[in-house]
Amino acid sequence: MTDEQMRLSKDIVADGFGLIAAAGYINNEGGQAIADAATELIEGGCGTLLIDLDGTRIINSIGVSILLEIMEKLLEDKGRLAFCNLTPTISKTFEIMGLVQYATVYPDRDTARAALAGDAAV
Amino acid sequence: MEVVLHLPVVPNVELVAAKAVEAVGGAIGMHQGGIEAASVAIVEACLNAMEHGGGQMVVRMSAETFEGRPGLVIEVEDQGKGFDPSAAPRNSATRVAGCTTKRGWGLTLIRELMDDVQIRSHPGRTLVRMRKFVESSP
Repeated sequence: MTDEQMRLSKDIVADGFGLIAAAGYINNEGGQAIADAATELIEGGCGTLLIDLDGTRIINSIGVSILLEIMEKLLEDKGRLAFCNLTPTISKTFEIMGLVQYATVYPDRDTARAALAGDAAV
Repeated sequence: MEVVLHLPVVPNVELVAAKAVEAVGGAIGMHQGGIEAASVAIVEACLNAMEHGGGQMVVRMSAETFEGRPGLVIEVEDQGKGFDPSAAPRNSATRVAGCTTKRGWGLTLIRELMDDVQIRSHPGRTLVRMRKFVESSP
């Protein structure tokens, strides 16, 4: 649970649709790594981002604050942000901090991709 | 059962406290959701202690029964300048949205994720005491 090393991958899975898979401790460094990957995907033309947190069990508010900044950047560009594979505690933390007001949460990656298919050719 | 940790201010030392929560919480039968909630709370308390505490912090955790309900009690103590807990704002998403700074969530998360939180603070000593019952939800 307390494996701190962030393991991250990013991919453009369809036109305009970017996927980030992040597992590890979302602190300032982990949050920034996700933000950097998100920025690359957004600048590469992705208006829809899915962040898969399968394997992430521990977060802190500084890391989540950085995710809030990604969300605001996407919203400025009329983009869309979604998360999947959240633990109940991470889901509750996102709810408290307001991420779920603007981002959609899905139980798993397949469900997310199917749901987001209407916005991008997934 | 009691664990006492004297933690220096070094990067990611809060994970040592979270690891102890995982071990002690598991030993007293807490489910994974409760352990993860208590872990995030102790991480936030340690980050606050590191940011405002001015030096080493002490973390204590013990298994205690309160009103017939077993649980995990966690204390995080620092020697910082202290603050008025009653004046600490309860953060909300609407207050933060659009602001350039999004910090200040620590106490709000601790209060939301734990079943009971008490804070005593005066110059030279701040103690955050929090409880998570074994059977409580995340």
